[in-house]
Parts: sequence; C-alpha cells; structure tokens
Amino acid sequence: MLRVAGAGRSRPPAPPMMIQVSHLTRRYGRTTAVDDLSFEVARGEVAGFLGPNGAGKTTTLRILCGYLAATAGEAIVAGYDVRRDSLEVRRRIGYLPENCPLYPDMRVDEYLRYRAALKGVPARRVRDRVAAVKAQCGIEEVGHRIIGQLSKGYRQRVGMADALVHEPELLILDEPTIGLDPNQILQTRELIRSLGGRHTILLSTHILSEVEAVCGRALILQHGRCIASDATANLRKLRRGRRRVRVELRAPPEELLRALRALPGALAAEETAAEGEGWRRATVDCEEDADPRPAIFRAAVERGWDLREVRLEEQRLEDIFVQLTRDDDAAPAPANAAGTPGAAP
Amino acid sequence: MRTFFVLLRRELGALFLSPIAGTALALFLLLMGASFTLLLYLLAQGVEATDGGTVMSHLLGSFFTWLALLIVVPAATMRAFAEERRSGTFETLMTAPVRDGAVVLAKYAAALVFYVALWLPTLIYPVALHALRPMGAPADLGALAAGYLGVLLIGAMALAAGLLISALSRSQAIAALGTFVAVCVFFLAGFIPYWPLGLALTGAAHYASVVTHLLDFARGIVDTRAIAFYLINTAWLLWATTIAVESRQWK
Repeated sequence: MLRVAGAGRSRPPAPPMMIQVSHLTRRYGRTTAVDDLSFEVARGEVAGFLGPNGAGKTTTLRILCGYLAATAGEAIVAGYDVRRDSLEVRRRIGYLPENCPLYPDMRVDEYLRYRAALKGVPARRVRDRVAAVKAQCGIEEVGHRIIGQLSKGYRQRVGMADALVHEPELLILDEPTIGLDPNQILQTRELIRSLGGRHTILLSTHILSEVEAVCGRALILQHGRCIASDATANLRKLRRGRRRVRVELRAPPEELLRALRALPGALAAEETAAEGEGWRRATVDCEEDADPRPAIFRAAVERGWDLREVRLEEQRLEDIFVQLTRDDDAAPAPANAAGTPGAAP
Repeated sequence: MRTFFVLLRRELGALFLSPIAGTALALFLLLMGASFTLLLYLLAQGVEATDGGTVMSHLLGSFFTWLALLIVVPAATMRAFAEERRSGTFETLMTAPVRDGAVVLAKYAAALVFYVALWLPTLIYPVALHALRPMGAPADLGALAAGYLGVLLIGAMALAAGLLISALSRSQAIAALGTFVAVCVFFLAGFIPYWPLGLALTGAAHYASVVTHLLDFARGIVDTRAIAFYLINTAWLLWATTIAVESRQWK
C-alpha cells in the first residue's frame, strides 16, 4: 500500500467501503475470539453484527476502535489502517461501548463538553455541538444533572450523545439496547434509525428483532467467524429445505398421521399434543415448494374429520439464527459440538 | 497539546472534587501541624535540643512528614487508572483520539498539582518562624527553597510509582495498598545507611537514601546526583506506566 509515513493530513480519496476487515484474528491466550474474520461495510450502510454471546462481536468492535490490537489480519476504517493510523480512525468513529460507561461524578453538560473537546471539536463549536446532540438524543432537560443520578435509559442516551458529538462518519454501537426497558428499547431503535441517513452504523446485538428493526444488512457471527451475511430481508431465505404446517383436527391418531404422511410433498408428520374431546395437534414438515394446506382440508372432508386449524408456520428469523448457529451442515464453521442440541444461545 | 489540557482539567476536577481531596488535606495538615509543634517545642528548649540541625531539617525530617507522604501519595494516584478500569470508562477514554502518553502525562500532572497544593499551606510555618525569630537571627531562605525542592522531587518519584501501580490494578484499594507498600519500602530502605551494617552496602545505600537526600536538601545542600536520581526514576516509572496502558492492546 502506498502511503507516505505521517501523511495523516492528506486524506486519501473517500473509499466506497467504510469498513474493510480481512482475515482478522484475535486470540486471548489460548482461546481464539475472532477467527480469520473478513467482512465489509459500505458507506451509509446500517449493518448489524449478530451472534450469540461470546461470538467475538465486542472483540471485533474493540479492534476497529483501536482499543485492542489484532493478532493477525488487517482492518481499514474510512481508508485508514486501524493499527498504523489509530488516531485518524478514532477521530472518525463514534463508539458506544457495551454497558455505556460514563463518569458518574460529572454533570451531563460538563461531560459532553469534555468529550467534545477531547475528540477535537474546535472550542468555538463545542457549545453548538453539545446542544445539537442533546436535542438529537432527547436529553435537553437533564443537562445540569449528575450522571450518576440518572436512570439507565438517560445514561444510555448520554452515551449516544457522546458517540455523536464529534460528528463521526462511523457509529459503532455495542449492544445499544442492553438493560433497557421495552419503551426505551423502542426509543433507542428509533434514534438509530433516524441516524441511519447521516452516518454509517455498525451495531452489535444478540437480539434478532433488533437487526430486523434497524439494520439493512446482518452479519451473523459464530465462533469468531462470519457464517452468513445478507440483507435482512434476504435472511429469511437462508433457512433451507423445509416448511412446516401446523394442524388441529378431531381424528383417530394413527389414521391422522398416516393421512398426513401421505400428503403430496410431505416429509414427516408427528402429533404434538392431544387437546381433549378428541382434538389433536400435529405438524407436517414438507418440501420447500410444497403447500399441503388444500390437500389437508380435502383429506379431512373426505374422512369426515373436524378441522379447526391449518397454519403455515411463519419463517421466524429466530429459527434461522438458531439453525445457522447450531446446524453442523449449515454452518461452514468448524463442526461444533454436535451432541449439545440444548445449547441454544 | 490541547488534548493534554482537556485531560488535565478533567483529572484535576476528579481529584479535587472527590472526598479523597478533603480527607487527604485534613490528615496532611494535621500531621504537618504535629511536626511544626514538635519543632516549636525543640526551639523552646534552646539550641542544644535541636542537635545542630536546621529548622527545615526538623520540620521536614520528622517522623510526621514521612507518615504524611505515605498517606498523600496513594491518595493522589490510586484512582488514576484503577477507577477507569473498574468502571469501564477506560474504554471510552482510550478509544477517543488521544495518545497513551498524553493520558499518562495528564494524570501524572494532575497528581503532581494535587501534591503541590497540599504542601502550599505549610509555607505558613517558615513565615511564622521568620516573624517570631529573635532579633538578629539569620533567615536561611536557601535551606527553605532547597528543602521544598527535595519534597517536590521525592513526591514526583513516589507519584510516578503510584501511577504505575494504579495502571496495573483494577481496584482503587489494591492500588492504594500497593503504593503504600512501595513508598514504605523505599522510605525504610532510606534508613539503611544509618544501620550498623557492612560498609559496602552502607556506602552504596547512601546514594539512594531518601532520608539522606531530604536531610541534605533541608540543610540547603542541593546535590545534582540526588536531583538526577529522582528525575531518572520518575522518567522510567512514567515510561513503564505508558507501557502498562498500552498493554491493554495485547491482553
């Protein structure tokens, strides 16, 4: 790479990619937290880092922010190498660490002014910037209060205001809604969505609905590797193979299962519950392109069975996630302990 | 440079507005007051009782002064890094565009300012003595200045040691205790030249004895070897602190 040493001032032409990570590895002693990870985030994108706890999300984010050094591989943020030009990278990142650490003994205004100056906001602009981010994050009325006395929700917003105060190109948010109540979660997501137009955002979470709610693209991490990366809308398609139909009928059990298994495209059927008065719940797994629902209705009519439910199960992102992070064959990750089906994230 | 002053301001605020500041100041002035009272008692006994020492060597060389330093140094440095690590703000601090060295220097400068601020009120003692001295008795301003220079140099080194220990620890209590022990060992080692031991060891220990140094300074003897000793130790301790701060990247 051609770069004159110390040429921090002369900006390289803005690259289309905000984050380029290639073959990143980070070990803590013998454990490998991030394992040969490669991914890219384009300018203006809102990307979600998704993975079970301990998948290497926080470690990766800390490497991007210059807090940790990688064991191997490289990471480029806004055209700068995170190791060689750490300060240039840090000037362009607004980082909200997990659990949002703040100085409890400072007042909100005092803290934000301090952080703005620390991050290089010119002295004459500090007041304006602090006022702007306070308005953006909805904390105008707590400016004079001591941070230690604020509620968790307000503290989170102060942390967000801190991340935004120097107008960073890239926002990195580590579990931004952890520990918040449902209302605060919705407000935080709304805030993140509203920031999406102006900043590139990379956020980490282990909550799928969060990615669905705010991110355009999801990167699924497991064991320090990226096992899937796609637009959130496309993620549902990642689940391969089966569709599942749930039925509830009044029918004799053996005959019911025999009839369900005989449906066109059916792969398996099993009874899940008996509801009393002869009602039985069952599931039918079938091939991806098959829809056995009309056939189920006809079969019930032919045999004179009562039918009170036929439902195609919604493809939930949760299921895809569980499948991706658990299936041995679905994940290109090293075969994880196959004998632990109960180890859900 | 601006970053340094922004950090320094924040550190000074955290130090001076904490309950530690008031407690340390109160204890320190109590101990120094005791030292001064002892000095007045000796002076009242006549010149023989002062054993030929100068006024400054009695004020600064008393047991109470050592005790005061043992309390003040950990109080000034224990929070520095340990508290940031514990609360997680170390991460927000080190992901801001600041050099590790600037953070270390700002925290050190704040501790030093705090230390100097504690000593400032004690200037009243020499002023009081000067006002009350018998007619014609000489005022030795040189010994006064040298004595305070010694106090500053010893403090500079002990604070650097305290900062290093705070950078290595996650808890304020451990940092305080570690610093207390380190400063204690250093002071006790300073008495080695005054023990009836082998000559070789005694001779060498003289050069590193904080007790010898301080008594020399208090007599107005400004020895460049002693100055170099404290400045060099301060420098390498601060360098080691920077390494300890950088080590987060690799742990």
